[in-house]
This record gives sequence, structure tokens and C-alpha cells, in this order.
Amino acid sequence: MSWRWDRAKESLGEELEFHLKMAIAERVARGEDPAQARVDVLREFGNLPLIVDVTRERRGWLWLENLLHDTRHACRPLRRAPAFTATALLTLAFGIGANLGVFQLLYSVILADLPVVHPDELVSVHAAHSPFDQGWAVSYPAYQRLRASSSDAPLLARASSGEAELELPDHTMTKPKCELVSDNYFSVLGVLPAAGRLFIEADARQTQGEWPAVLRFDFARDTFGSTERAIGQHMLLNGRSFIVVGVAQRRFLGVVTGYAPDIWLPLALQSTGRFDTGFDSLGPGHDVTLSKPWYNQPTIFWLDLIARVPPARRAALVARWDRVFRPDRELMTEATADPVVKSTLLRATTELVPLNRSHGGMRKRFSGPLTLLMALSASIFLVGCLNLANLQLARLQARSHELGVRMALGASRGRLLRQIVLEDVLIALVGCALAFILGRMACSILIRWASSHHSRLTLDLHPSPLVAVLGIGLMLLSLLFFSILPGIVFMRTTAAQLAGSRAKVTGVSQTATQRWRSNVLLATQVSLSLLLSTMSACFAATLVHWETIDVGMDREHVLSVHVDMQQYRYAGENREVLPELFRRIQVRLQALPGVRSAAVEMCGGIHCWWNTALYVHGRSDLTNGQVHGQEDHVGPDFFATTGIPILRGRDFSAADTDTTQRVAIISRTYARQLFGDADPIGQWVGYEPAPHDQKFQIVGEVADARLNGSERDAPPMVFMSIDQNPAPAHSIQVRAVGDPGQLSNSVRQALHEVDPALPIDEIVPISNELNGDLGTEKLLARLAGVYASLTLLLVAIGFYGVMSSRAARRKNEFGIRLALGATRRHIQMLIVGQTARILLAGILPGTILSILAMRSASHFLFGSVSANSAAIFAACLVLALAGAVATFIPARRAAYADPLESLRSD
Amino acid sequence: MAETPKYQNRIELLQGTLDMLVLQALVREPMHGYAIAQAIRSRSGEVLQVETGSLYPALHRLERQKWVKSEWKLTESKQRGKYYQLTDLGKQQLATDHQRWLQLVCAIGAVMAPEVQP
Repeated sequence: MSWRWDRAKESLGEELEFHLKMAIAERVARGEDPAQARVDVLREFGNLPLIVDVTRERRGWLWLENLLHDTRHACRPLRRAPAFTATALLTLAFGIGANLGVFQLLYSVILADLPVVHPDELVSVHAAHSPFDQGWAVSYPAYQRLRASSSDAPLLARASSGEAELELPDHTMTKPKCELVSDNYFSVLGVLPAAGRLFIEADARQTQGEWPAVLRFDFARDTFGSTERAIGQHMLLNGRSFIVVGVAQRRFLGVVTGYAPDIWLPLALQSTGRFDTGFDSLGPGHDVTLSKPWYNQPTIFWLDLIARVPPARRAALVARWDRVFRPDRELMTEATADPVVKSTLLRATTELVPLNRSHGGMRKRFSGPLTLLMALSASIFLVGCLNLANLQLARLQARSHELGVRMALGASRGRLLRQIVLEDVLIALVGCALAFILGRMACSILIRWASSHHSRLTLDLHPSPLVAVLGIGLMLLSLLFFSILPGIVFMRTTAAQLAGSRAKVTGVSQTATQRWRSNVLLATQVSLSLLLSTMSACFAATLVHWETIDVGMDREHVLSVHVDMQQYRYAGENREVLPELFRRIQVRLQALPGVRSAAVEMCGGIHCWWNTALYVHGRSDLTNGQVHGQEDHVGPDFFATTGIPILRGRDFSAADTDTTQRVAIISRTYARQLFGDADPIGQWVGYEPAPHDQKFQIVGEVADARLNGSERDAPPMVFMSIDQNPAPAHSIQVRAVGDPGQLSNSVRQALHEVDPALPIDEIVPISNELNGDLGTEKLLARLAGVYASLTLLLVAIGFYGVMSSRAARRKNEFGIRLALGATRRHIQMLIVGQTARILLAGILPGTILSILAMRSASHFLFGSVSANSAAIFAACLVLALAGAVATFIPARRAAYADPLESLRSD
Repeated sequence: MAETPKYQNRIELLQGTLDMLVLQALVREPMHGYAIAQAIRSRSGEVLQVETGSLYPALHRLERQKWVKSEWKLTESKQRGKYYQLTDLGKQQLATDHQRWLQLVCAIGAVMAPEVQP
């Protein structure tokens, strides 16, 4: 662009030059002396550059040319001050990038709608609370009837199926997440295929040959190279053969935020028994046979329903569905003996909840922490801007000589301001571009932090216009804060006084107002930094608390082996071989050096949630709240292995077999729930009310343990013997003498020797398992930690910058003081004292801010405000240390400068 | 030379007239800037002196309005000069300006006439 300006300017110069020559030539022709002629012509001509300027202005675009010129001019000081430029760029990149990253996450988790047409028409159908899990699942027969009764409101069903074993044609194995869905799943949602086709009605009836599968876009691309290549591929899933019929549109990641299935499969696959799905049922003894197909069992609840209904038609539809669903409600009442629960269940009506507000486990869990993080990100942005404003003022101060001279030479105040701002516009633009990149990276790091061992998060991070608007808004805001406002303030106060006064131009002294201004900026930074440091300390303490809390088990020495016995040979009719297999496993593992004991367990970790009910023989007055608890089937030595103490009675023994009396062991909480303070040993219990309440005899009582994860309260537990109630084991616990992690290879080897076909998912220390759900706590602690260190750095830079420029300006004064007998210590104390006063001024409001913040975030913190006040104290100490270190260097430099040199230099 | 070089003000004062004079000067043949100034001076009997500081801004303004177009050519003395040429648009503009000028002269004449007669 600029070469055109230059050429136009050159051409004008040549034209005027030609004019001059012609005029001179004419005068010479008239007989004048050439030299004299030139002088005369030039006088007649007037101010040549001014003519050029005016002429160019006539042509227009002069302002743009000026702008380009100013831009070029602006690059020069930036190159000359690399430290400032780098600090500013990094501050903006981190300050804006952090906000963008967190906001992108907030947007993806909370604000974004499904990427389909009219997402507002989609509703979750909440028909009735299922008996034990209190979820919203319904049975397959109920789904069929509801769907048939509403041709005007298409209804889909889905069931998460966890992970499946996938074998590709080239024999590579992976574990994708699967979801079983009804044939109309994609058509009701309005999802389009990226390649191939999605499910059609015929897919629901397929019972032999290859099953159809639809893949998620990214999964298809990562597995097969491209979506087109995925179509028609054959693969084995849990031993069944499948063909890929289609790939869903790129941004569709399923209906549950954060949980993105890799493969969608037809619902009918349930009847193969090879795909585990979450379920609830009326409980044992209510005509429930889990090992048979579920599609004709109205007593198993496993389908979540979603319908597409415009708001206007919802009321009529709910009334119709309530009539259709009535028999299912009546059936559900059989699961309880509690009359209150029964009548509530019968009185309840179907609810239609907008899809973007239901399925909100993730939303509910993250909206609080993310909002909090947004606030923290905003404060780090603010700290960054204040810091830059302070540096900017110091920088302008240093340039006041130059600016004053330029004003004296006639530069307009507006144009100077424009140049100052332009320099910063460049910084802001580049900083903002960096911030977008950083935000993107931050977002994926945040997702990794927030993902726990058990819930890998997959989110749609599609850049949204809102994020771009936020980024540009923050950039403009930062520009206002660190460039325009300081520029205006500087121009108004300082530059005006400089213009005429030679004395001031040479030795610019900082006025009291200027000092006060930069002190206030620094103190504000200190307050905000204190806030962030305190929060960071609190979050870290909370995380440590959950990671080290007494879980009622030996969390240091136990290794959890997750096995997948549901598949292949151990499922269904082969169950009678299980007790023998378990015995072999236990014997083999206990023979390993370094192993104290080993035990098998039905539950496979903290997400087991096998809800159950126990009715006590001879008691008919128990409410639902008393009878409900969780159940697990465990092998002998389970309690010795996990370190759960037996309080009363005995452990399971080899004598408890299929042919002897069924026995149970309950936890302290469950015992208190059912029997109060009475001795539970010897009591008779059963899954159903009388007359079936004498199935088990309680033989032991154990202490409470946090089996659902370290941050959740210990559940009321009942343990049954896995030998008496054969069930596939999902985990094998191994107690080591020392570090359990070192045993994993020998354990794997030993299990392989027992049964080479036993599928081992993973081997983890039980502490990892128990801390597996600490996603938000980890996210908060880590991000707040990063923020706190960043602000500490910024505050240190701020103190260093301000104090060293002040020390440099006061060099003369220090020289005189030293000459008059002040000690070096005295000079140092002068500077350190200033820092101390600023720190104190910042710490007081910062403490109040921190206390307020801790109050409002108490939901995410463990312990009370007063318990966390140690965090404030620690943060103050760290801040004071950072300030002192940053000030120490300039203070030392000032104190050890040669006084003669200082006095002579000016 | 005027006391203060406030070209902009002067151009505003002379604007309409100067443009018309320049366009008129170019009616017969393309000319360079110096020749235009000379032409106006000689035809006005040395009364109208067009200053460089007014002439070139005017020329560039006329060019931007597409009333004249310019071209670098060699003069008789083999020097490179920028020649300006009237465009069709410029001819129309000249006609309009001339018409307005005549009206203005008439009107001013009519206003002045009674004052002159006793």
C-alpha cells in the first residue's frame, strides 16, 4: 500500500520541480542572472513542502497515509523496548487467553445448544422416578406404548452402554464408548449424516448377520482415516460382527454434555447380553430376569426418553402420556412397602424438561466451578491491565522529554496521543492473536484437568461468535486501560507543563499525584493478587483434604484390578464355574511375594451404585429412606484386603457355600438405619417385605467406608457372599506389603496364568480409584494455582518496574543524602519502606475481598472461613516476600551507587 | 507573496473562479501547470496572478473530480512535464460554471447600477 503513497508524493515533487525549472528558464530567457532567478522564483513559490501537503490533502486519503506513517513510527519504540513489549504481549496473551479458555469451556458446557434444528423443541421425558436409582429410566414395553400413543410427537430412547471391546479388521483392539439407541434417534434429533446413512426403521428388527453401527465423526476419522473410508468397514464389538453404515455430522457428540459416545448401536443389541447398560428394576423376586432379553420385561427400567414437541402441544401430550403410563406407575409401587412413596408415585405426573437443562449432571457439576473460574480469570485480566497501566505511565514519564519537545515543535496533542495509542494497538492486536491461540490450548488443558479417571470429557469446542466477541471486547478494554487512559492522563497533566519549561524538560521530577497514582495501581494489584493467592491456597487445601481424607479403608496399600467377566465365557449359564475360578485367583495371588491378601468383588470401582433394599423380618414400619442402601458381592478376605475393620460378628468364610444358609454383612450406617442401636448380628433380612424377608442372616457388621469415592459420604452398604450369590467379578483387590504400584506386573502375570482369557481392563492403586471423581476440585486447585503464580509474577514485575524507575529518578537525592552522612542501610530502607506501605495498603482490602470470596465459594471449599484464614496469612507472606525480592534489587542498586558519580552525572 | 501562507483559506475564497479559469485555459489544448498559470496571467493582461500554492491543489482536486486528466509527456525542450487535459465531464462543468458566472456578473451589475447613477 505504502509504495503508492510514495510514488504519488514523488510524482508531485517532480511536477513542482518542473514548474520551478520552467519559471527559472523564462526569467533567464528575459535576461536575469540564473542564480538570482532561482532565488526569486523560490520566493515567489512560497513554502514548497506546505504546497505539497495541501495538494495531497486535496486528493484525500491523507489521514490514511498519516496513519500508516504513524504505524511505522510506532513500531520503532516497540523494537527499542523489547522488555516492555514482551511483558505487555505476555500479560495480554495470558490475561485474555485465560478468559477465553475458561469461557469456551463455560460456553461448551453450559450455554451451547445441540447442533440441530430447533434444539428448543427437544425435551427429556421424566415419567417417574425409578424405584432405587431415582433416575428417569423406563422399561422397553413402556417406551413402545408411549411411542405408539404419540404419532405427532416423535419419541426416542437411549441407553448408555459404557465401553465395549472393539476389534478392527487389522486385529487392533480399542475400547470405545457405546450408546444403544432407538431406530429414530437421529431422525428425531435432526442429526444429519456426514457420510453413509444413519439408523432407519429396518435396523431395529435386525437379529442376525451383521449389526449396523453409526460412528462419531472424530472417532471415525481417528480410527479409519476418513469418514468416507469408515463406511462399509467390518468390525467386532464384544465378539459380535458389525458393519459401519454411517458417520454422524461433525459437531454432534450425543445428547449428554461431556459424554460423547464413539459408536451408536441399535437398542435390540441388548438381547444379545453382550452389552452392559445401566438399569434399575423392581428388585429380585419381582419377575426380573437380568440374563434374559429386556425388551419384554416391564420390570426393568433402562431407557431414557427424549421427544420433539413444540411448546404449545406439551400440555395435551403430558395428559395423554400419563394415561398410557399409568400401569407402569402401578407396577413401580410394588418395589416399595412405604405407603408414602407409593402414593407419591401414583400422584406424580409426567414432566417434559427442555433437553439443554436435563441430562445436566455435567452442567450442574461444572456451572458453579466454571462461573467461579470466570471470576478469577476476570481478576487476573484486571491485574494484568493495572500492571501494564503502571508500566505505561512509567514509560511515558521516561519519554516526557521527547514528547515535550515534539509538542513544542508543533505536534498536535491528538496526534501524539494517537501515536502512543497506536503503539499499543499493535501490542494489543498481537497479544490478542496470541491469546486466541493460548485460549484454545488452555481449553484442552482445562478439559484434561477436569476429566477424571472415570469420566473422560469430550466437548464440542467449536469456536463460537460469543468467544470471539469476548476476545475482541477484552482487547479493547485492555487498550482502554493500559493505553488510552494513561495516555490521556499523562497528556493532560504532564505534557502541558513540559512544553515551555526547559528546567522541567531536563530533570523531570515526579509529582506527588503521579506517585500516588502508581501507588494506588500497585496496591490494587496487591489486593487482587492476595485474593487469587488465597483462593488458590484454599482450593489446594480442599483437594488435599479429599485426597487424604480417611476413607475407612487402607488407601495406601491396595491395588485394584479391573476385570471384565461380563463378556464371553463367564456370563449367563456358566456362572457355576465362578466360585472355583475365584478361589483359584485368590490362592494364586496370595502366593505372590509382597501380597498380603487378595479378594474378588462384584463392583468394579466407585461408580457401581448397586442400589438395593433390605426388609427386616418382623418389622413392617420401615420407610424407603431406611430400607434403601447399596449392595456388593464380595469374596472371602475382602475386608482384610481393603482394610475395612469388622466391628462385630464374623467375615465370610469358605464354609459359606451355595448349600448353606445365605449370610450378609452390613455396614455401620446401614445397621443404624435398620436397627438403630440394637445389635444387628443374627437378624433376618430379605430383598422384599414379608413373607420374603428371611432370605439372609446378618453375620457381621463392618465400619463405614467411602466406597463411592473419597469426596462422597460412606454409603449404607450390605455385602453378600459372592460364592453364595454367584456374580461376575468386576474387580480383584490386592493388598500389598509395600507400594502397590510395583505389584501390577506380577499380578497381571499371575492372573494370566490362572486364565489366559481373563480380560484385564486396568490395574490401578485404590487411591487413584477413590480420587477418580475429583475432577472439579482438581480443575479449581490447578487453575487457581496457575493464576496465583501469574499474578505474583505480575506484582513482582510491577514493584520492580516502579521502584527501579523511582530509585533512578532519586539518584541525585540519594547522592546528597549519602554525602551528608546517611548510611546505605538508610537508603535501602527508604525504598523498601515504600514497598512495605504499598503492600500494607493492598493487603487490607485484599483480606476483605478474600473473606468475601471464600464465603461465596464456600460450596466448593472444605472447611469454614475461619479454618481457611491460614490461607490468607500464607498468601500475605508470599506476597510480601515477592514484593521484597522485587524491591531488593533496585534498593541495593541505589544504595551502593557511588554518590560522587550520581551527583556528577547530571 | 501574501503575509501569511494560509493557502487553504485563499483557495476557499477563489475556489469557484479559479477552477473555472483553469478549465477555460485547457479548452484549446492540454497544458502543464506552469503554462496554465502563464496563460491565465497573459490573457488577463497580467491582472490575475495564480499562485503555485493555489494552482496545484486546484489541479489535483479537479483531477480527483474527473474534470481533467493528466499525463506525463515530453515538452518541446525535451523535459518531462505533467500535462492536464479537459475531460467531457470537465467541459460540461465549464459550461455550467461559465453560465453561473455570467449570471453572477449580471446580478452584481444590476445591484451596482442604481448606486452609480445620480
